Parts: sequence; C-alpha cells; structure tokens
Amino acid sequence: MSDWTEADLLHWDEKILRVAEDLGLDWHPIDYEIIDYAEMLGAMAYVGLPTHYRHWSYGKEYERTHTLYNMGQTGLPYEMIINSNPSIAYLMRENALYIHLLTMAHCVGHSDFFKQNRMFAETNPENIIDSFKSAAKYVRKLIEDPSIGIDRVEHILDAAHSIKYQVPRFPGIKYKSRDELLAIEKQKMTEQESYSPDLTKNPLEPEYNLLRFIAEHSHRLEEWERNLILIVEESSKYFIPQALTKVMNEGWACTIHYKIINELNLPDNLHLPFIKLHNQVVRPHLGQLNPYHLGFKLFEKIVEESGFEEAMIVREVHNDISFLRFYADQKFLEDMNYFSYSFKKEKKIITIDDISDNGGWEAVRDELIKNVGLNRVPVIFVDEVEKDNSLCLAHEHDGRDLDLNYAQKVYDHIKTLWKDEVKLVTMVENEIWEF
Amino acid sequence: MSVFRKHKSIVDRASSDRMRHKKKIDKAIKESIKDVIAEESIIGQDGKKKIRIPVRGIKEYRFIYGNNEENKSVGSGGDHSLKKGQKIGQKRAEKGQGQGTGKASDQKGDEYYDVEVSLEELAEYLFADLELPDLEKKQFKFVSQESIKRKGYRFKGIRPRLSKKETLKRKIRRQKMAEKNGTHDPEGDERFPFHKDDLKYHHIKPKIKENSAAVIFFLMDVSGSMSQERKFLARSFFFLLYQFLNHKYEKVDVVFISHSTHANRVTEDDFFKVGTYGGTIISSALQLELDTIEKEYHPNTWNIYSFYCGDGENWSSDNEKCLDLFREIKDLSQLTGYCEINEQYQGLADEVDKDDVFHGTPWGTFSAWKNEELENLWAKLTPVCDQKFKKVMIGETAHIWKAFHSLFGGKSQS
Repeated sequence: MSDWTEADLLHWDEKILRVAEDLGLDWHPIDYEIIDYAEMLGAMAYVGLPTHYRHWSYGKEYERTHTLYNMGQTGLPYEMIINSNPSIAYLMRENALYIHLLTMAHCVGHSDFFKQNRMFAETNPENIIDSFKSAAKYVRKLIEDPSIGIDRVEHILDAAHSIKYQVPRFPGIKYKSRDELLAIEKQKMTEQESYSPDLTKNPLEPEYNLLRFIAEHSHRLEEWERNLILIVEESSKYFIPQALTKVMNEGWACTIHYKIINELNLPDNLHLPFIKLHNQVVRPHLGQLNPYHLGFKLFEKIVEESGFEEAMIVREVHNDISFLRFYADQKFLEDMNYFSYSFKKEKKIITIDDISDNGGWEAVRDELIKNVGLNRVPVIFVDEVEKDNSLCLAHEHDGRDLDLNYAQKVYDHIKTLWKDEVKLVTMVENEIWEF
Repeated sequence: MSVFRKHKSIVDRASSDRMRHKKKIDKAIKESIKDVIAEESIIGQDGKKKIRIPVRGIKEYRFIYGNNEENKSVGSGGDHSLKKGQKIGQKRAEKGQGQGTGKASDQKGDEYYDVEVSLEELAEYLFADLELPDLEKKQFKFVSQESIKRKGYRFKGIRPRLSKKETLKRKIRRQKMAEKNGTHDPEGDERFPFHKDDLKYHHIKPKIKENSAAVIFFLMDVSGSMSQERKFLARSFFFLLYQFLNHKYEKVDVVFISHSTHANRVTEDDFFKVGTYGGTIISSALQLELDTIEKEYHPNTWNIYSFYCGDGENWSSDNEKCLDLFREIKDLSQLTGYCEINEQYQGLADEVDKDDVFHGTPWGTFSAWKNEELENLWAKLTPVCDQKFKKVMIGETAHIWKAFHSLFGGKSQS
C-alpha cells in the first residue's frame, strides 16, 4: 500500500540533514516514531509527550480530533515534535512519502528553533521526558491509592488546569519564595533608609504564578494535593515558550522545509504533491490568523529584504510579540490584507474596525499582537492574602472584559484549591466587578 | 542521522482517559434525558425510534476574554475591497485557530454533542446506572409457578411413575446375561419374567418457573380537571415506568384505562389525547382493571403492575370503595403506584423532607381537594402503603424522576 520503505526514509533523511547543515542549522538529534492512525490520535492528545499523567481532558481531545478528522474538518498534522533531546517526532504510517519528507524537513526546523531560540533557554530538553514520566507515575499512584482515588485526583486537576496559564509570561522569571522576597526587601531597606515597605503583606509584590502561590500558601491543602498543583505548574512551564513563539516557530519550520525540499531536486511525482501540500499549510485562512501563514510570510519578507543570515538571527532572539512589532510593517500587513473586527453589541453584527491602510495599520498590528499566544489569556495576579485568609486576585484589565460565565467557573475552581474565601476583582463595561 | 523507530505499539494509551471522558458524557446525556422524556411521544413506541439528545460538552474552564468591543479579532485574506465599518457577519466569528494557547479561545461557545440514541439505549441510559441496589432482590420477585419435571430414575417409587422403557431395558440386559451364563435358553419355551429388581421409576423434581411476562395497567383520570399540563406530567411518568419495566421483562403488555365517571379501555393515542368532561369516579377504573385481570391476565402467569395517575379529585362517596379496590389490586400486583399530579406541590418539594412528601401527609395544607379537609384519597391511602403499594406526588417535571425513585426504591439522585 504505502509507497515507501524505511530505507527510503533513511535515504532522504541523510539528504535532508545535509542540506540543513549547509544552511547552518543546529538541532537536537531527532527520533522518529513511525505510528499508525490510532497511535497518532493518542500522541496528539498528549501533545506528543510519550508519557503524560492521566486526565479525562486528553480523552476528550482524542475524541475531538477523531471526530473532526472523520468529518473531514481537519487533517492529521504532518508534524508533531517535542522539545526534548533527542527531539521526538512522529510519522504516520499511512502517509505517503512526500508527506514524510515535508514532515522530516519541517521537524528539523522546529528542533533547530527549540535549540536556538532564547525563549527556550530555560527549558530542560534532556530531562523533560523523565519529569513527565515521574509526574505520570505519581498521579497513577494517587489514583490507585484507595484513600484518594480518581475522583479526588480529578477534582484537583480540573481546578488546577483552569489556571494553568496563569503563570509568568516570560521564561526566566524565577519564582521567589516569601523568604527570598523578604531578604530582598530588607536589603533594599538597609540601602535606602526612607524605604519602608509593609513587610506583613503577602505577597510582597503582585504574584503572577497562581498555581505556585496557592500550592505554597494555602493552609488546608493535603500534601498530595499540593504536589498535584505543582505538577500542573511544572508542565505549564514546558508549554510557555512554545506559546510565546507559535507564529515564529511554525514560520521558521515552514521556511526551513520549503528551503530544504527545494534543494533536494525531488522527482516530479514527489515534488508536485509536496508543493500542493505546502501551499495548503501556509495558506491564509479568511478572517482568521493562520500562524503558519503569518510566520512563513514574515520570514520570507525578512529573507528577501535582509538575507537568510538575518532570518537566522531573528529565529534566535525574538518571540512572537517582538517579531510582529519589528517586522509586521504597513507594507506587509497591507499585502496580506490583515484587518481587525469586533462584535457590536448594540447592532448585533460584526463590523471591521480597522484595515491595514495608512491610518489603520498600526491599530491592526497592535490587535494582531494582542491575539497571539499568551496575549489571548487574561492576566490574573495575586494581590494579597487578607488577614482572614481571603485570597484576593485581580485582573489586569487591558480593555478586554472577562467572559463572566467562564470566570465564575474558574473562580469556583480556585476556591477548590485555596479552600477558603477568594476574591476576584475585574472590570466589566468600565465598572468594577467583584466575585 | 536521525533514528527511525517502528513504534512498539503499546496498548491504546488514551483509552482510560477516553473512558473517563465518556463517563462524563454519559452523565450529561442522562441529565438531558430527563428533559427529553417529558417532551417526546415515546411510550409504547418501537424501541428502534431514534431520539436526538443535545448534550452539552464537558467544558474545561479557563479565564478567557468576553464579547465586549475591545476584544477584537484579527484576520487576513479576502480581496482588498474591505472597508472600515463594513459588516462582515452576524454572529461572532470563531476565533483564529492554532494560536499557541488557542484552546482557551477555541473552547468558547457552547459545545454540543448531538447524541442520537434509540429508545432502547435511552432506557439503558436511564436504568443501567440508576443505583437501585435493592431493586433486583426486593421489587423484582417474578411471579412464579411450580411445575414438575422428571429428572433421572430411582429404584423406588410409586406405581404411576414406573418407567416402562427403563424397566424393560433392565430386563433385557438381565436376560442376555442369563443366556450368556447358560441359565436361560432363548430357544426354549421357558418364560423370562420381570423381576422386582428390574423396576425403575421416574424421579421427579419440582421446578420453579419464573414468568418474565408483565402487564402494566396505566390508569388515568381524564375528567375535566385533568388539564393538558397534568396529562403531560402523567405521560412522562408513565413513559419512565413503561421503559423501566420493559427493560426488565421479556414481554410487556400495556393496558390503558382512562376514566371520568366511567372507565374505558383505550389505545395509547386516545389515552393521552381525548379529553372528556364530567366528574371523577376512580373506582370505575379500578374495577375495570380487576375485570381485565380476571379475564386476560392471570396473576400466576403475569407480573402485574398497576399505576394510577390522577389529580386527587374524586367523589368523596367513592373513596371508601376505592380503598377496597386498591387493596384488592395490591394483592394481585407486584407493585401498585398511586400518583397524584398536583401543581401546588411544586413549591414545597425542597422545603419538606422528602420522605414526608412521598409517604406522609403534609397534604392538608395544599390540598386540591377542598370539600373535606384531610378526608381525601391521598390521606386515606396511607395505611395501605407498604412495599407493594406506594403513592407519589408530582408537581412538575423535576419530580418525575424522584417519584420514580421512590416507587422503585433506589437511592434518590441529588
């Protein structure tokens, strides 16, 4: 059935890697797992991680992908690769050779990005598999423990998952314990006499790592509950750099696969379907953001204007926000025809707010930035733990209101974790809103 | 050089998480079913009929942005004719996919799983996981019949159970032996008579046969006071009962008896549709049921279930008679239920202790029966109540499920 053998993969792999070396890329070695459709669904559900702790949401993800795929609404990904060393990637057995070639070239791009981009500097690709493995083991132990069991484990995981993105937005921000913060404040006080902070306040400064803070300061958590929360926090850390660079990462991988495959001098029966597939991947989605398209086009522009060397530097130093702010200029946005739109409550219709013309492109760019990665996640921080042990949270309002239905549910989840009163302050339609 | 590995196909790793998710979905279906049963015309329908049940997806909540105008979306593409202020849609469009944490926004909006189930499956859903622990043992004593079955042979027995075949076989065997030994000459004239030891008798064992056929009597008041709303509640309740019993027995007959001052055996359609006027004499329906049982459904072979649904109004002079007839029916039936539809009961469901509501009489305060205080059927039936006779009150659809539980004695769901 299939039009390839493992020997073919090895043969082309060698060629692909040679081109990649010539380009000056530097990546983690890649281990490809050749798996079938069902295994692919499984791998996707757990975002490619070979081991992951159990939670029903991954079962849901599996079913969702399965359903969407069956309805023809989505193809299975051509590439899935995780940031480990060696990088683990997946090839679906049912795919044709040209798809594998695209996938392999694409994965080299990703692996290079993981290794080179500075957002990933704090990740620990050598140990990531092991740390997920030991988390999985720990969760399994809790589930099998008759005094705990799956229901209680899920109860905590459900709650912790609801705030898993409420962690610091940039890698490298180290969580400081209260003692460390106190030491810093005291140091400041000795250096500057007029400085007199309220040292009884907790936290001493706004804390953005909700999971970590709750795990450390909730009085009523049992040991295993605390550990579960920290497991979720730990796995969030793995995903933060990826969330921060989705556009760049995909854009870079597309740039690389396109470059490599074109260097391979493929016979037409492989090259033509490859081109078709490539165009499908990087096509714009009308009215939406396709990170593959946006990233690929921006890198293309950078290479055209300043050469491939410049692109190599960009892939190292930027993240999506700086990448867009730097390179998405008026000409680019106009060419790509980006526009912003919103729902108008009074008229109950969606209208265009700005288009990328002289007067509007900057607004469009700013909205674009607000719509990538973690900028789509509201920022919530711990303001204070009051004397009566109420946990006071606040939302950094940037004009966008919270969805109150969702916020209410998350608020309930946080209560589950804090096990005491919780307050949450936000703004709704320009008025203070308190949960 | 990259490494290629044929995946050492471990067991389907997502299976336990999928199962867990399915459990949640099932629970959601079950919750939706309670609404659905009240709306569809489903009693006595062919079990293959499909019903669509919208089930809300199991959401994972995160902090996400809402719908205010400041929350703008950005998109690309289209031709260059777009203008500021141009209308591009009615509803809020789906957010872009595939952003790093896109899930937070992707999952906005209601996810509905439209699950299609057949009536049979629906019943499975309803009852499979109902947590009715005592049900099998207590409520489901099938009617049984003692019959006698032959089982093996014995040397001792009474004459009528003599097995001629086995006896003859033994005699022939003995005869052949004798020929072999030379004690008997087959050519000779000597008779070879039966001996006492040849005699074998059938052994019999009593066998208890359980009848897995049931007949359900649905009795309903269709007098003027039974409004459409009340009938609607009655119907939903009957549906549950029917599905449940149908689930338990191999063969289920249903008899519909409607009554005002006079009782009639009717078809299902007429049972729910035709409204009549006039007063209410419950005993007429009860008498008709008893007559029908006598003619068609002998209690030895049929498991009889009787359910009465009415609004509690009855001619007071008829109450005593009803009581007697109910007692009689109770003796014949596996379970008899008296269900009163009473909207005024609505507000009290949460205030009054459940046991009181179903079995006691907090009734006087909100009686629909106004002629005689407390001298109503509900109160009078109290002494009849036991494991085989139960009364329930329904004020709104939400009570149907509870009523069902109290009839069949499972744990009530929260």
